[in-house]
Amino acid sequence: MYEDGRYKRNPDVSWRVIEGQAVLVHNREGEIEVLNEVGTYLWEHADEPLEQLVGNISRDYGVAPEEARRDALEFYESMVASGALVAAET
Amino acid sequence: MDFHVGPEHFREPGAPLGGAQCTVAVGGHSVRFSGLSPELHEAVLSRYALFLSEIPPLHTVTLCAGAPAYLAPAPDGYLRLEETQRGEGRILLSTGMAGFWPSGGRDGLLRLSQPGNARFALMFLENYLRWVIADLALERGGFVLHCAGLVRGGKAYLFFGPSGAGKTTVAGLSGDHILLSDDLVLLTRGADGWRASTTPFWGALAQELKDLGTYPLAGLYRLIQAPQHALRPVSGALAVGMVAACCPFVSDPAQRHDKLLPLVEECSRSVGVQELRFKKDPGFWDLIA
Repeated sequence: MYEDGRYKRNPDVSWRVIEGQAVLVHNREGEIEVLNEVGTYLWEHADEPLEQLVGNISRDYGVAPEEARRDALEFYESMVASGALVAAET
Repeated sequence: MDFHVGPEHFREPGAPLGGAQCTVAVGGHSVRFSGLSPELHEAVLSRYALFLSEIPPLHTVTLCAGAPAYLAPAPDGYLRLEETQRGEGRILLSTGMAGFWPSGGRDGLLRLSQPGNARFALMFLENYLRWVIADLALERGGFVLHCAGLVRGGKAYLFFGPSGAGKTTVAGLSGDHILLSDDLVLLTRGADGWRASTTPFWGALAQELKDLGTYPLAGLYRLIQAPQHALRPVSGALAVGMVAACCPFVSDPAQRHDKLLPLVEECSRSVGVQELRFKKDPGFWDLIA
């Protein structure tokens, strides 16, 4: 389960935001991910508290906080699974 | 069992294979092979006949004998290539070669497992050349794209996609066009825009079918095999992601993609990226040019 502060962006993933969407390149594998607008926002702010991001998404996109939280958690867990987010050093 | 090596493997490599040398240029990026044996020199001259050059080399690599084997063959039959970055430079390893490119240096060293087998040696020499050309291009604001490159009306059209997407098929359906490559094309930025150049790298089609040249880039087309021809523009991050996914590097230290992504974005914006659904007839050209 994703938790605040446990993960950081993998330094071995190059990324660039183009017209509001992030392109992620997994440098070792050469795999590419293209994120949507909300995914790009979550990716760019991955080091900020989840509840703050959920509040902002709920407000900006007019979705219920529960839905925004579920989507955000799902997104971050997929990023952990793909290796784009890695465990932060303690 | 893999035979992994460090920079020390290149400190006392022994004598070069021979005294011959020649220079190969790809889109103005020149690499000199020195220390060639007479047999390997002859093989290189034949293999790269279109690409031989007298321009001063940007990189010189000296060939020497190496260990009996380096990486163990892959079970699936694909050629293994692995790159490691050390403080002193970068090492490229494969089954029959160990290459070393010192940090900040212009001269490399290539140690071959079977230097007496010209066909075998040539295969690894070409992998070293791909490695060097991709990096030389990136240093100079260009990149190599895994694609079929065809010229129509003096402009280059690049059809890209992963293996099996149809690059060789498209090249084969375009027999009345100039062929840059059915595998890898070099993209460079000129004063008047992006340009595409022929490369000597192995593809499915014979080297003799290629035309040596550099042409203004007209468009980038992501290939998808389909029952009907259709063209759909792709923009933004998806376009950049599609193109970047087809830019080959052996292994990709972050700094390479940090350099590559802005170049791919600029190139994609400049000429546009489109998804080309095509069937096996040359009618797709009617949609393009």
